[in-house]
Amino acid sequence: MQVEDEKEKQPESVVEEAETTSAPTPAPIAVEKHSRLEYSDLEYLKLSKWQRFLYHIARFFLGIPAWFKNAGIAIWHFLKKCGLGVWHEIKDIGLTFVHGDWKTKISYGVMGFGSLARGQILRGILFLSFEVIFIVYMVFWGGYWLSMLPSLGKLGPAEEYNEELDTYITVYHDNSFKILLYGILTLFFIVAFIYTWRLNIKQNKISEEILATGKKLKSGKQDLRSLVDDEFHKTLLALPVTGILVFTVMPILFMILVAFTNYSGATNNGYTNNLFSWVGWNNFNTLLNWKSGNTAYSAAFGEILGWTLMWAFFATFSNYFLGMLVAIMINKKGIHFKKVWRTILVLTIAIPQFISLLYVSRMFADNGIIIARLQQWHWVGDNFSFFGDKANPWVSRLMVILINIWIGIPYLMLIATGILMNIPEDLYESARIDGANVWQQYTKITLPYMLFVTGPYLLTSFIGNMNNFNVIYLLTGGGPTNGAVSAASGSVGYTDLLITWLYKITMGANSEYYMASVIGILVFVVSAVLSMIVYNFMPSNKHEEDYQ
Amino acid sequence: MAEVILKNVKKIYQGNVTAVHDFNLDIADKEFVVFVGPSGCGKSTTLRMIAGLEDISEGTITIDGQVVNDLQPKDRHISMVFQNYALYPHLTVFENIAFPLRLMRPRMSNDDIYKRVTDVAEILGITPYLTRKPKALSGGQRQRVAIGRAMVKNCKVFLMDEPLSNLDAKLRNQMRAEIILLHKKIQTTFVYVTHDQTEAMTLGDRIVIMKDGLIMQVGTPSEVFDKPKNLFVAEFIGAPKMNTFPAKLTLKDGKYYVTAFGATLPVEGEKAKLLKAKVQVPPEGKDIILGVRPEHMELAEKPHPGAIHVSIEVSEMMGSEVHLHVLTADKTPLIVRVATMPLSEEQRAKLNAGNDVDVEFEGKVMQFFDPKTQLSLLYAD
Amino acid sequence: MEETKVTPTESVETTPVTNDMAFTPAPFKDKKHMGLKRKRVIGNVIIYIILVVMSIIWLFPFVCIVLQSFRCESTQPVGYIIPQKWGFDNYVNLFTKTNFPKWLTNTLIISVVTALVQTVIVLCMSYTLSRLRFKGRKFLMNFMLVLGMFPGMLTMIILYRVLADLGMTQANSIPGLILVYVASSGMGYYISKGFFDTLPKSLDEAARVDGATNAQVLTKVILPLSKPIVIYTLLTAFMGPWGDFVFARYVSFGTSSGMNVAVGLQDFLSTAGNTFKNYTMFCAGGVVVAVPITILFMLLQKYYVEGVTGGAVKG
Repeated sequence: MQVEDEKEKQPESVVEEAETTSAPTPAPIAVEKHSRLEYSDLEYLKLSKWQRFLYHIARFFLGIPAWFKNAGIAIWHFLKKCGLGVWHEIKDIGLTFVHGDWKTKISYGVMGFGSLARGQILRGILFLSFEVIFIVYMVFWGGYWLSMLPSLGKLGPAEEYNEELDTYITVYHDNSFKILLYGILTLFFIVAFIYTWRLNIKQNKISEEILATGKKLKSGKQDLRSLVDDEFHKTLLALPVTGILVFTVMPILFMILVAFTNYSGATNNGYTNNLFSWVGWNNFNTLLNWKSGNTAYSAAFGEILGWTLMWAFFATFSNYFLGMLVAIMINKKGIHFKKVWRTILVLTIAIPQFISLLYVSRMFADNGIIIARLQQWHWVGDNFSFFGDKANPWVSRLMVILINIWIGIPYLMLIATGILMNIPEDLYESARIDGANVWQQYTKITLPYMLFVTGPYLLTSFIGNMNNFNVIYLLTGGGPTNGAVSAASGSVGYTDLLITWLYKITMGANSEYYMASVIGILVFVVSAVLSMIVYNFMPSNKHEEDYQ
Repeated sequence: MAEVILKNVKKIYQGNVTAVHDFNLDIADKEFVVFVGPSGCGKSTTLRMIAGLEDISEGTITIDGQVVNDLQPKDRHISMVFQNYALYPHLTVFENIAFPLRLMRPRMSNDDIYKRVTDVAEILGITPYLTRKPKALSGGQRQRVAIGRAMVKNCKVFLMDEPLSNLDAKLRNQMRAEIILLHKKIQTTFVYVTHDQTEAMTLGDRIVIMKDGLIMQVGTPSEVFDKPKNLFVAEFIGAPKMNTFPAKLTLKDGKYYVTAFGATLPVEGEKAKLLKAKVQVPPEGKDIILGVRPEHMELAEKPHPGAIHVSIEVSEMMGSEVHLHVLTADKTPLIVRVATMPLSEEQRAKLNAGNDVDVEFEGKVMQFFDPKTQLSLLYAD
Repeated sequence: MEETKVTPTESVETTPVTNDMAFTPAPFKDKKHMGLKRKRVIGNVIIYIILVVMSIIWLFPFVCIVLQSFRCESTQPVGYIIPQKWGFDNYVNLFTKTNFPKWLTNTLIISVVTALVQTVIVLCMSYTLSRLRFKGRKFLMNFMLVLGMFPGMLTMIILYRVLADLGMTQANSIPGLILVYVASSGMGYYISKGFFDTLPKSLDEAARVDGATNAQVLTKVILPLSKPIVIYTLLTAFMGPWGDFVFARYVSFGTSSGMNVAVGLQDFLSTAGNTFKNYTMFCAGGVVVAVPITILFMLLQKYYVEGVTGGAVKG
């Protein structure tokens, strides 16, 4: 027995030893052999600048598997919490029924009965009318839509003989779009009903408890009064949240589902196609699968995704640093007319983008002013083009980034100016006394402060640029056309972003909405993944803020 | 009338962080109670629970006989002065003070409001500023406006959350006196929060000393000064801090002695009687922590076995007295306050850094603490 | 830029030793002083040059547009800037021969109504998220964050269908567009929320101790202090519809009387043939649209800048 105990004790101490020995290692490169890398603060300070840099890189890569594990654990915990939450609710519903009085039990069938019976007229009427409306809706309309949801309708438009008019007329039978739309609405409604029903049950339970302790229930008047006080948030949020639910959540849900259908605007025998059906993961396959027969989409997708990321990166950071530079220049002591310079630049924001961009695109067009001048000065040949079909794709891409700088700097300059004004002047003074020159002051004071404050902004700016429809569409329309990649989706260009491609597919001849949905979903996935990565690595960056 | 009773009050934040543990206190009507303690001890949290700005996790708070746990701040009949005054920047001083009156239902007439506001302004001496906006006032003036706003409605409890922290030292002294006068004048229960023990001692009828969410001691200023129940209170109250150091308590021939730093001092008088009643001293002596306030230490004329030999590190000239920062033989720092008036020139000359002196103290100023529990051997219950 | 080092010994040796040496510091100091100052002056001159060049580049397109709008000798895009014949023809044609006036009134109505309603909605949302604490607050913010990552274009089709079913498209597009613009505007709360976050919470608490309900705190204390952000939100909400050429086109779907200025003007340049005819009219239209907005923006610039620098940074 004793021996076994000792043996069991050993593994613990071995683990402890391993942890302590892995910490101090001489060179960061040798570190890869250890699974955990952690320098104490003092050891870290001993490293040279180069070693610190390598240390961070090593930690970054070593951290990736752990990060995945953590993400997985987090997701698992989240699901577990949800599951437990649901189970808890169900248990609560059951218990309330068993322990509740007769008013509560009737409320399970007739919503609001409990409230009415206990004197809360207002709440009772609200609950009851909601239930009535729901039942009426389900009987007359909801049932139909739900039943059609799996098939999305079977009978398409057809010519049928109408006796009254004694001729053949077009009869539109099932409309898949309407089925999907109202089906989803019905599902929403059902969820809302379940939630309200659950609320009703909970109310009953709480009311019973309150009455049991001898206190009084809130009257209708008190309820209304609390809407401007403790429940004020409900009053304020009612309208905005409803708007978002109906006009953003529901359409997005709809479009996600469309990605799993073959909904398009194509005509069928002269009628717009009212009928479409579920196709499962087909569309995703088409877009992402290189091995499938139809590689046109996937090739296009790959190329466009690459450029979208490149564009977002350059657009964001060029504007950011140049905007900061301009802000610093204007803010410098000794520069007069600060307001004038700022106003001139800010003018660009005021003028609607479609005017400025459309005009600029015409300026750079093949028959526009700029090329005419350049040809006049013999700087370019006759076949030179910025955005036309003859253009070098990389020239177009570069021009787009440059023109975007023209659009974006004023805005960034404003933000940078605001932040710069907040940096305490004595930081700079103390640095000057310590002997820092201008560049050092910039990299060691200004830059870290700016990055710290605008970190989140950079991320949203990046994602925003990924979806920056205006600039690309108005300037180039996505061109010049990428002949090699233009597939069934119509002309795809070298400056097309995912989102302009989406637009073209939607507005194109066949309006393949399903492909558009798939692309939209993928854009979301890319944005979400990027955000998660950045947010997860940002805290660790903040902690080890400067190896500068 | 307007008593405040806190019973088993707890505040637990999300993530199981307990800010206030089991707070029990009975505040009498018209009493001036001060919550004092270091940052993060829970004093502001408790005040805010009384005000209704924080939810009470457990326990009950009763104001004037009514349990107020579920009541909104406005229904509790309290007034509050905030640390940063919280004056409405867009309103004039007059409107700032009138704000609570205008919210009262049934509505007060404009004449009544005018009378009340001007009365309060008169009392506080801010009548010339009534038409100004807060940003045109100095810190002290803003403070008075904040007090005015709190005074103008008839409240049962007057709450103040570190109101003097943002003022400079001179103004602080002046305002302290004014707050005492205010309390006398409006005859309401005051609950005052501060981290400054001087304010606590000068303002409070009773002081509640808190640490880490727990009450360390409740008592009048003289009680907490002379009879601290634990080491924390002893060191917190009084400036400079009380000297505390390990010592040995021995009992020989019925007489008590304390030995520290090689010196043995007798303990006689009241303290000896208390020791006899409360403390068991084993034959080999009892290890204790001894506390002596700097002002109670005296300079001995010449070295003797009952005086501790120390060397002066720093000599701070305070005007009518000198604060000597001394080191004992084993490098323990002590502080000794010496009044310079009664000393001759040559005696004063000796009080410079680098010199050696001897200090002694009487039994009646000694405080005895248990090194393990940190409780006072004489006064802890 | 390195600081010029001046070694004292050099200058002392070059001047003869006289009693006047008592005042030596002057010339020697001047040299160092001038070195520094000269550096700064050169630096500033460079910056001024850069700024002037930038101003020219930034203003150039707009100057061109204005000039082109006065060109009367032809209506197609040309390779020179200064018109040969000046006149108001383009403007006259714009207002008499096209549907531009209708577009203008459409857009004006849309933007005014949108500005008012959207401001209310955004402020409701941002105030609630900033000052009020309630269950589900974090969830709501995260949810909207995630929702915002979906490209907005995706929802165009279905919104169009819904509007069509409700009869709010084509000729009747104004209410439809307004509805769509304001309904989801709550999601754009970041900057306003950032602003509200900068107001001290103790103001709320003082008001509540003084007897105000949460609603009264909003109306009596917070709103009076929120002038900058209210104006900022009004301004940005007003400017939005003037530039929407994607969704407005979809909703108006070919019916000219239902278009807004952006769609209409864009149509001017939609095909090569159209461009030939309408290029100068487009410029005129651009000026008519841009000038009032720019003036409005300039007048309220102070608030816009405050909103961007204050709220955007903290948000």
